[in-house]
Amino acid sequence: MSNEYAILRVRVTAKDADTLRALLRDTRPDVGGRIGQDEDGSLSFDAYVSPEKAQALPREGVTVTTLDYDATATGRARQAEVGQGDQFAPADAVPQGLALKVKDSKGAKDA
Amino acid sequence: MSYLNIVEVESAVASLATAFPHTCELIDLPERSFEGRAAHALRIGTAEPGVNDAVVLIGGAHAREWGSCEILVNLAADLLHAHSGGTGLTYGGTSFTSAQVHGILDGLDVVVFPLVNPDGRHYSQTVDPMWRRNRNPAQSGGHPEAVGVDINRNYDHLFDFETAFHPNAPVRVSADPADPDQVYQGPSAFSEPETRNVRWLLDEFPRTRWFVDVHSYTQDMLYVWGDDNNQSVDPTRNFRNPAFDGKRGLKQDLLYAEFVPKTDTDDSAVLAEQFCKALRGVRGKNYTPQPAFDLYPTCGTSDDYAYARHIVDPQKGKILAFTVEWGKSFHPPWAEMEKIVLDVDAGLVQFCLTAGT
Repeated sequence: MSNEYAILRVRVTAKDADTLRALLRDTRPDVGGRIGQDEDGSLSFDAYVSPEKAQALPREGVTVTTLDYDATATGRARQAEVGQGDQFAPADAVPQGLALKVKDSKGAKDA
Repeated sequence: MSYLNIVEVESAVASLATAFPHTCELIDLPERSFEGRAAHALRIGTAEPGVNDAVVLIGGAHAREWGSCEILVNLAADLLHAHSGGTGLTYGGTSFTSAQVHGILDGLDVVVFPLVNPDGRHYSQTVDPMWRRNRNPAQSGGHPEAVGVDINRNYDHLFDFETAFHPNAPVRVSADPADPDQVYQGPSAFSEPETRNVRWLLDEFPRTRWFVDVHSYTQDMLYVWGDDNNQSVDPTRNFRNPAFDGKRGLKQDLLYAEFVPKTDTDDSAVLAEQFCKALRGVRGKNYTPQPAFDLYPTCGTSDDYAYARHIVDPQKGKILAFTVEWGKSFHPPWAEMEKIVLDVDAGLVQFCLTAGT
């Protein structure tokens, strides 16, 4: 969330629930999404942290994999995909929706 | 097409209300944001207000989860254009007939509030893309990192988390404005205009029976509760019972589980499963229907608040409440986000159909 430092997106994997709880209590990382459980019973989540905090996360039963070395830069690049001005300002400009609007066929079935 | 800026979200909502005056009503929310921005919602339906039960859909509470607004704006546009044109809707491999679209608009009030937190979205889209909260500086003490409140921790459900939860429960909330997890709950429940707007909307539509808050990410369709495991055996184990203070929030324990009648769990599960099934039909994405609680309990969230309203005040109607967690990142490239919009909107159309039957 800092403007001044790179923020990493990391995948944090803990061997079990107790390890995960202790990690979350101790480090309070900025968590993205929810916690997932892998087939081997380990638990993982994404976190957005500074490089220093990423180095502080690994411990007994915890592994950290970097997914994005500068998530802030990725986000800033994405800001270029935000509209400029107001595409709906003209009186006849209305959102159309993304679904196809299709006439019912004879064999149309409900979803 | 691209991500909508905050002016475009407002403009989109207003333009739909203007273009479809017989099926769409512009709702002016009473509270302005800290930076003075107005908020609007749409009521979509052919009947007079209050005749039908309502589905309330909100998005954009968390600033960095940009696509939530586009999901709801496009859903509104799809329903209104299809109804007007007498067509059905096709989202990839999932299709709905014109009769189904008419059934939704004739049988429900679909209330769409796509941008709950305009100040936060603007900041995320123009300054810090990872920003989550609103931009209220009241509790910051002048420190930039302490600006803002997490809107989805500012509702009143178990707001006093230090009393309600077990000391070892890793509750994802904080009383510290500078908490690095960006989950500062605010100085009091409903301290923020954004949460008060959502509360007002539910009060304004007393026939609301279903509520969906659109978030990202992890590809889930969640239903209550978020504070502990669900159970349908012991009604005394509930969030209002102080005998269980200090015992909530641990997984795989016998200390506590939150009561919910089995019929509500079953109805919620069916709605969530139908959502996921229609979504999967679009292009094969698998979303998981499940209760919100996991190892990371929550409090002060919109879905638990919406469902708890009828328990706290029996005069209020029961609302089955849900949270969508779309996608696998906060702001995917727009080309991917368009596909996610189709996924989730197919799920939401099916959700409305299932709710209305």
